[in-house]
Amino acid sequence: MTVFFIILGIVSGALLWYRQGNEAVVQALLSGGELIVLVVPLVIIAIAMAAYAQALLPRRVVEHWLGRNAGWRGLLIATAAGAITPGGPFMAFPLVVGLRAMGASLPVCITYLTAWSLLGLQRILMWELPFFGLDFVLLRLLVSLPLPLIAGIASQWLGDPQHR
Amino acid sequence: MLFAYLSILALALVFAGVAHRDTNVRHGDVMQHAWKQLTPLLVRLPIALIAAGFIGELIPQALFGRWLGDASGVPGILIASLLGGIMPGGPIVTFPLILVLERAGVGVPQLIALLTSWSCFALHRVLSYELPTLGWPFVWRRWTVTLILAPLAGLLTLWFH
Repeated sequence: MTVFFIILGIVSGALLWYRQGNEAVVQALLSGGELIVLVVPLVIIAIAMAAYAQALLPRRVVEHWLGRNAGWRGLLIATAAGAITPGGPFMAFPLVVGLRAMGASLPVCITYLTAWSLLGLQRILMWELPFFGLDFVLLRLLVSLPLPLIAGIASQWLGDPQHR
Repeated sequence: MLFAYLSILALALVFAGVAHRDTNVRHGDVMQHAWKQLTPLLVRLPIALIAAGFIGELIPQALFGRWLGDASGVPGILIASLLGGIMPGGPIVTFPLILVLERAGVGVPQLIALLTSWSCFALHRVLSYELPTLGWPFVWRRWTVTLILAPLAGLLTLWFH
């Protein structure tokens, strides 16, 4: 991963220098540096926050709330659970696998994953807020709020691969 | 920006406070876990931000304005949904790139469609996590229902905005 970014940086930097000269490269470096100073401390605090949240919310608590339910209540709980699940995919996917094993329906799992992708509080606080600001985040949350439910309901027509 | 700092600092303090009272959680363990997640980012994030800055200078801005600007309307939303679906990489790569797009004049509904599509399709995440753990029968069903979400998010924004 790191090597990929280094290559990307070198190639794009060289191309910029070739096409627009020294000044453009310096300008881009300066604005990049400004962004680094603004964003990196925030990411450090956010990761500490996420580590605490993960330590406090054991996986089995979420599994307990989503395991047996289907229907509207299950979908609503799945939306809320997806939004507050901390940690990256290494946290969410083992959880969904556990839910499937406990008999959670396809719509519940899809609603959960969609909510986690779109409404995940951790990603919003860590990435979206610092980059795009509060107005944008609120607008995006407002339009995204119904989407996990829509995804769950729509998935009912596709059949459950486990329950055939 | 100040709000982002304050809100996340407040959350971190609240969680740390709750954890302090919980006998099962030890601060040392939590910090060790956090440090392990942080170290690769400390190298990658600055490099990604600088690379995104270079790429932003290289992208012809007029092109983005025409295809994805505020005036691009519904076709712009559809193009943005498509673009978001094929965009690989996690938030470290994607957020700086999307920020570059925003500065290049991409409209808000188009930007939201792009973010929604990238979040839901998540090619990168599917290959490394979802396919190995949940399998293709799950993935294609989730992708199918996701197809409508990004354009829907863009259209809803267009309507609200």
